[in-house]
Amino acid sequence: MAGIELVKLEKHYVVEGKTIPVLTGINLQIPEERITVILGKSGCGKTTLLRLAGGLEDPDGGSIHYGLSQRTAFVFQEPRLMPWLDVTGNICFGLKRQEIHRDEIHSIIHTVGLDGFEKAYPSQLSGGMQQRTAIARALAYHPSFIMMDEPFAALDYFTREQMQRELLRVWKSQKASILFVTHSIDEALLLGHKIVIIEKGVVKTEFELPKAGDFRNLLDDKFIMLKREIIENLNVAV
Amino acid sequence: MGIFSTYVLPSPGKVWGSFQKMLLSGEVFRDIMISMGRVFKGFAIAFVLAFLLGMIRAMIPASGVFYEYLVQFFRNVPPLSLIPLLILWCGIGETTKTVIIVLASFFPMYLNIVKGFTGCDRKLLEVGKVFGYSRLKQFVKITLPYASADILVGMRIGLGYSWRAIIGAEMVAASSGLGHMILFAQQMSRTDKVIVGILVIGLIGYGTDRIFGWAIKKLLKGSCENGWN
Repeated sequence: MAGIELVKLEKHYVVEGKTIPVLTGINLQIPEERITVILGKSGCGKTTLLRLAGGLEDPDGGSIHYGLSQRTAFVFQEPRLMPWLDVTGNICFGLKRQEIHRDEIHSIIHTVGLDGFEKAYPSQLSGGMQQRTAIARALAYHPSFIMMDEPFAALDYFTREQMQRELLRVWKSQKASILFVTHSIDEALLLGHKIVIIEKGVVKTEFELPKAGDFRNLLDDKFIMLKREIIENLNVAV
Repeated sequence: MGIFSTYVLPSPGKVWGSFQKMLLSGEVFRDIMISMGRVFKGFAIAFVLAFLLGMIRAMIPASGVFYEYLVQFFRNVPPLSLIPLLILWCGIGETTKTVIIVLASFFPMYLNIVKGFTGCDRKLLEVGKVFGYSRLKQFVKITLPYASADILVGMRIGLGYSWRAIIGAEMVAASSGLGHMILFAQQMSRTDKVIVGILVIGLIGYGTDRIFGWAIKKLLKGSCENGWN
């Protein structure tokens, strides 16, 4: 078995004595070397699913089966940078001393557009710059699996597009498996090879897209049709 | 001006003159060095104890049950009230003074260290978990730096408490040091020397506090201003 397999996965939270079910029996195959996008409305359990798959929380029922040994990196909704470390220190945070190659770190800093801010501390950066540092930290780790929880939500349009292109480039060059959570249908269509719609704690629909690493033109008829289908699935009024 | 008796309040000139004489004779340096030696010895022991107990409390939360009540009990007992017992048990040697300083400076450091360690942002700890950090590595790379502001503030308060305690201890159970010098000068009706002693203690306290302020500023360069610089 390659990738990650979720079998009848359940998770609930207890708030003031009341049990609130979040995931109620998710069955999902997250394939290797592909970008799987989890799409759904706010509060549908996307982040919980990601946290369970990433091993940050334990499920209340069901099981998770991992394939080959994985080197996982996580990009959270918020940057989660170490305030006492500068940009370079934060990017190298997950690396062992012998894994740090200055040239490569400079290249990653350039990629995320933080040239000149190598010695800046998180408190000196804007929200978008902090998030880019968090993305750079994940890329520098050379993960075989990247878990991303709405990582580009805090970025402006141009930076978001640049980061989406960069993510596709990383996927093409490293063939990393990516589990990407978003509530943006366009982002899901741009990046995903597999789009999974979650609703009421279960997988409602899965869409398979061609495994192309290039930036897609969302104005193509097939993507417009697919977007319409996704919108209908999400029960969003058009 | 003759408003106050020189016995009650000696003139600045007389105080300055006494200070110069004490400087030239080296008497004041001897007392400063003795008091400083005691303070730093007691302070260092208290810091190591506070750090270790705070670390155990943070890494094994259940361990707090075993000693937290004892810590809270002794936190409310003024160290100077223990002097009679300590003299009985340890005599008027160095041990008594060291124990008094340890008791005085331990609690502010312990409370700040525990606050720093246990208050570490869980979201940052999750970052360590994602990168596969062991509990020890997580402590060294995340919890410890995160708590450094609280640790340094605790050390700063603890050092101030150490100076207060040593002067009290030396006034009762010593034959040397700044506390003893002040008490001896009072018994000899040398109010000028008493004032010199008070000023010297204040200056040393201010000096060490500034050094800590500088260290905090250097070590917490990435964090926001904490109002202690």
